[in-house]
Amino acid sequence: MNRTMNLEQRTALTGIGFVTPTVIIIALILIYPIIQSVVLSFGQSSIDGSEPYHFVGLQHYAKLMGDSQFWNALGVTFTFTALSIPLELALGIGLALLMNESFKGKGLARLAILFPWALPTALNTLIWRWMYNSDYGLFNAVALQSGLADRPINFLGDTSLAMGSMVVVAVWKTSSFMALIILAGLQSIPKDLFEAGRMDGMTKWQEFRQITLPLLKGPILVALIIRSMDALRTFELPFNLTDGGPVNATESLSLYAYKVIFDFLDFNFGAAVVVVQFLVIFAMSLIYVIALRNKD
Amino acid sequence: MNQKPRFGLYALVTLSVVISFFPIVWLILTSFKNTAGIYAWPPQYWPDPFTLENYISIFTNSPELLRYILNSFIVGVGTTAITLLLGGLSAYALSRLGMRFAGVLMVGILAVSMFPPVSLLPSLFQNFLNFGLLNTYTGLILAHAGLFLPFTVWMLASYFATLPVEIEEAARMDGMGFLRIFLTIVLPLSWPGFVATGLIVFIFSWNEFPLALVLMTQNAMRTAPVGISLYPGEYAFPWETISTATVLAIIPVLVITAIFQKQIVGGLTAGAGK
Repeated sequence: MNRTMNLEQRTALTGIGFVTPTVIIIALILIYPIIQSVVLSFGQSSIDGSEPYHFVGLQHYAKLMGDSQFWNALGVTFTFTALSIPLELALGIGLALLMNESFKGKGLARLAILFPWALPTALNTLIWRWMYNSDYGLFNAVALQSGLADRPINFLGDTSLAMGSMVVVAVWKTSSFMALIILAGLQSIPKDLFEAGRMDGMTKWQEFRQITLPLLKGPILVALIIRSMDALRTFELPFNLTDGGPVNATESLSLYAYKVIFDFLDFNFGAAVVVVQFLVIFAMSLIYVIALRNKD
Repeated sequence: MNQKPRFGLYALVTLSVVISFFPIVWLILTSFKNTAGIYAWPPQYWPDPFTLENYISIFTNSPELLRYILNSFIVGVGTTAITLLLGGLSAYALSRLGMRFAGVLMVGILAVSMFPPVSLLPSLFQNFLNFGLLNTYTGLILAHAGLFLPFTVWMLASYFATLPVEIEEAARMDGMGFLRIFLTIVLPLSWPGFVATGLIVFIFSWNEFPLALVLMTQNAMRTAPVGISLYPGEYAFPWETISTATVLAIIPVLVITAIFQKQIVGGLTAGAGK
């Protein structure tokens, strides 16, 4: 049979053979579960199959629309994203500009911005929770001993502080990732562009605004997409820092979905939550893709 | 005249380095304090007395914490091996064999990689339960492979694109099959790409939380981030144990990052540049 196949057919078959295992795993782990979540969200069933699936239409979605905890979680997720991404971007650009200079000890500096990226978010969050601790924490020790505060600050237990405390952890952890991507973009800018700018008598700031920033649009957008997707699905950060508290002030959409599914074991309603989350993230990524397309 | 900006530069660099390192330094210092030192007020900035008792105690009294780290190793190595093998073959096919739907497949793979992991949970938990995959290494390795194969395919495809086609074409002329070309020519030539991708996937797998939390429900099967996070249970947080276990659990990723920082930075920025 091999002999009757021509080279083109053999190449095509080999290609399909090479790709198939990957496609099967991605289909099983990523695509099928989304479809199944949609199906679950339109019905009622039990996890172990003792209660057979029956269709209930939009019942779970109707319940979701009337659920104040869902709207709270959506608000928390958007607030968290809207607060952390601009800060990460500003720090990321700053760090990238810094790392683009030449100085002694650059290896150590690069390691310093890579370490936060490499740390597991869940364990990093535990470290910060310890530093935020209102009885024994490092931050309160410094604040009280230096006289910046006259009584312990309840970073994680105060409803007006918890979100800010969570944003700080996220910004610390991920600004460096932004910096790495932007730095790679910086390094691809031809040096003679800056020389030309200098000839024209541009100041450093004009140089940055008129040469650097426009050319960094692509890398910045990519970094924004990756980080926004992460922020919109943030889970282990509130899970380990505050468990969504105080009074749900830091309960993200992912954490809310997790609690519905695994604390209340309501898989069908939980599926409706994750489908809505999926649509939100999908819509955001579409906006970014359109922005990316229009960048030139 | 040049002195002043240099001073400012070094001050900013120093500040960045200090801010980046201080949580890890504080964690390590905490792990060397005794219980009284950990809960002292005002806090001890330097361990007094400096003690190894927390480390000794983990090895003698809390072997489950070491088990979590072992689990993370098994899952991380398994995930890395599978994604490199299958992702490598796919990336090769998609970038070199002129497949008709290669472009569509690459974009599709990128799109599914943006799915929020929590949206996979209701279905994955149910299916893993029904197929007996909960609390198995195979199950979590499969789940992590699914999560990180898209990244692997994109990374390796962009690496293969930098290799000259001529060698492979010559091998084709000699009548070599594609699998042999992949194994004997492409693989040896692109090992830096495989190393960078593999290290990043290992770190991703080591750090992954939601799926590891839900698909490993037995204490003995938990990975390090999940096991340590859930360790205190309902009661007060035993920081002496938690801080020490956290040090042990982050050492592997920090050592990998320190040794291979060039490869990892190159990999991350190449992957993001697509």
